[in-house]
Amino acid sequence: MGYLGDSLLTAFELILNFDRDIRMTAWVSLYTSSCAIVIAALLGVPIGLWLGLNRFRGRQLLLALLNTLMALPTVVVGLLLFGLLSRQGPLGPLGLLFTPLAMIIGQTVLATPIVANLVLAAVTGADQRIIDTALTLGASRLQAAIQLLREIRFGVMAAVIAGFGRVIAEVGVAMMLGGNIRNSTRTMTTAIALETSKGEFAFGLALGILLLSIALLVNLFLNVLQQR
Amino acid sequence: MQAVISLKNIRIAQGDNFNLTIDTLDLQPGLIYALTGPNGSGKSTLLRIMALLTKPQAGTVELAGSELNNLALQRHRVTLVDQSPYLLKGTVADNLAYGLKLRGVGSKERISHIMSILSKVGLEGFEQRQAKELSGGEVQRVALARALVLNPELLLLDEPTANIDSKSLQAYESLIRGLTEYGMTIVFSTHDPSQATRLGEEVLSIENSRLFHSRTSGLVNIASLKRSKMYGS
Repeated sequence: MGYLGDSLLTAFELILNFDRDIRMTAWVSLYTSSCAIVIAALLGVPIGLWLGLNRFRGRQLLLALLNTLMALPTVVVGLLLFGLLSRQGPLGPLGLLFTPLAMIIGQTVLATPIVANLVLAAVTGADQRIIDTALTLGASRLQAAIQLLREIRFGVMAAVIAGFGRVIAEVGVAMMLGGNIRNSTRTMTTAIALETSKGEFAFGLALGILLLSIALLVNLFLNVLQQR
Repeated sequence: MQAVISLKNIRIAQGDNFNLTIDTLDLQPGLIYALTGPNGSGKSTLLRIMALLTKPQAGTVELAGSELNNLALQRHRVTLVDQSPYLLKGTVADNLAYGLKLRGVGSKERISHIMSILSKVGLEGFEQRQAKELSGGEVQRVALARALVLNPELLLLDEPTANIDSKSLQAYESLIRGLTEYGMTIVFSTHDPSQATRLGEEVLSIENSRLFHSRTSGLVNIASLKRSKMYGS
C-alpha cells in the first residue's frame, strides 16, 4: 500500500481504538481552547459592542490596534508572554510557565481581538433601528445594547466560533508557553510537530485527521450561522 | 392643565439640511397633533426629540413639568413608532411583551394586555406569528400595537400611514382617533394636508425653519379627559 497508505491505515486504527495518547492530547487541546474562548468571549464581546456603539476620540486608533492584534503571529504572542511568565519575568513567581493555564492565557490573547473585531463588524452591520426601538420601548442604554446582542446573536456566535478555530489550530503559543509536556500541555498541534519529527508519522496523521475534523465541524457550524 | 411635553427655545440644525427653531411648544393631554412640513424640514428629528431619543442643539425639553433627569425612566411615558418600524426577532407576542417586561409587568398580565391590544388593532390570532413573516402593513400595525400596549402618555407616529393602502387608512385613522378616549396625546407626522386637518385637532406645521401651531377643530374639553388604561377592566 505504500508509506502514505499504511500510515493512513494506522492513523485510523489509532483513532478508532481510542489510543490513550491521542485521547489525552485531544483533551488538552479542547480543554485549553475551550477555556480560552470562554474568557475571550467574555472580554471580546463587550469590547466589540462598546466600540461598535460609541464614537469617541481615539476610536480609530483602537480599531487599528485591534486589527493589528488580530494579525499578530502566534509565536510573537508566545514570545511576549514567555518574557512575562518566565522565571526571570515579572510574573515568574506565579510559576505559570509550561502549565495549561499559561496556554489558556496565551490563547485568550490570540482570540480576544478576533472575537472583538467580528462582534464589532456584526454591530456595525446591524440594523441601526434596533437600539432606538429598544430605547423607545423603555430600555436603558445597557438593556438596549443587550437587546442588540440578542438580535445579532448569530453574528456573535460566529465571532466566538472563529476565535475557537484560531486557537485550536495554533502552534506558537502552545509550544512556547506549554512546553509540549506529555499528558499535561501537549496539544494536537504541538504533538503533530513533535511526533512527526520523531518519525511517528502515523501518530501525527491521526492527530491531523482529528484536528481537521474539528476544524471542519467548526466551519460547517459557522456556515450554518452565517446563513441565518 | 399641565402640558404632556414642553419645548422651549429649541434649535435643531443638521448641517446644510435644515434648521428649525421652536420658541415654545406645549402639548396638551388628550389631543391629536398633526405635524406637517416639507421633506427634510426636521419633522422626524422633532419627533425624535419629543421621544427623548435625540438631544436638541439648544433649548430645554420638559416632560410633564419635569426636567429630563432620568431618561430611561422618563422614556416609559413616551413611545415613538417609526415610519418603517423595526420588529424584534421572534413572534408578534415577543415584540409586544418586550416593553412590558422592561416595566416589570407579570407574565399573566402581559398575555392579557397583548391579546387585548392585538384585537384592538385587528390582529387577533397573530400572537404566535413570526415577525419576519409579516407584510408591510402588518408590521406597521404590530409596531402600533407594541407602542399601545405600553399605554404611553405621549404617542408619536412618524408618517404612520405612508405604507398603508387606502382601504386600511380609514380603519387606522379611526383607531388613532379612538385613542384620545384614554387621555393619550398623539403627534403624527404627515405629508397629506387633508389628513392633517381630518385627523389632527391641532396642526404643527414647519415652514421656513419655524414651527407654527394652529387649531383645526372646536375647543376640546381637556379637563374632562382622564388617563385610563386601554386594556383590562
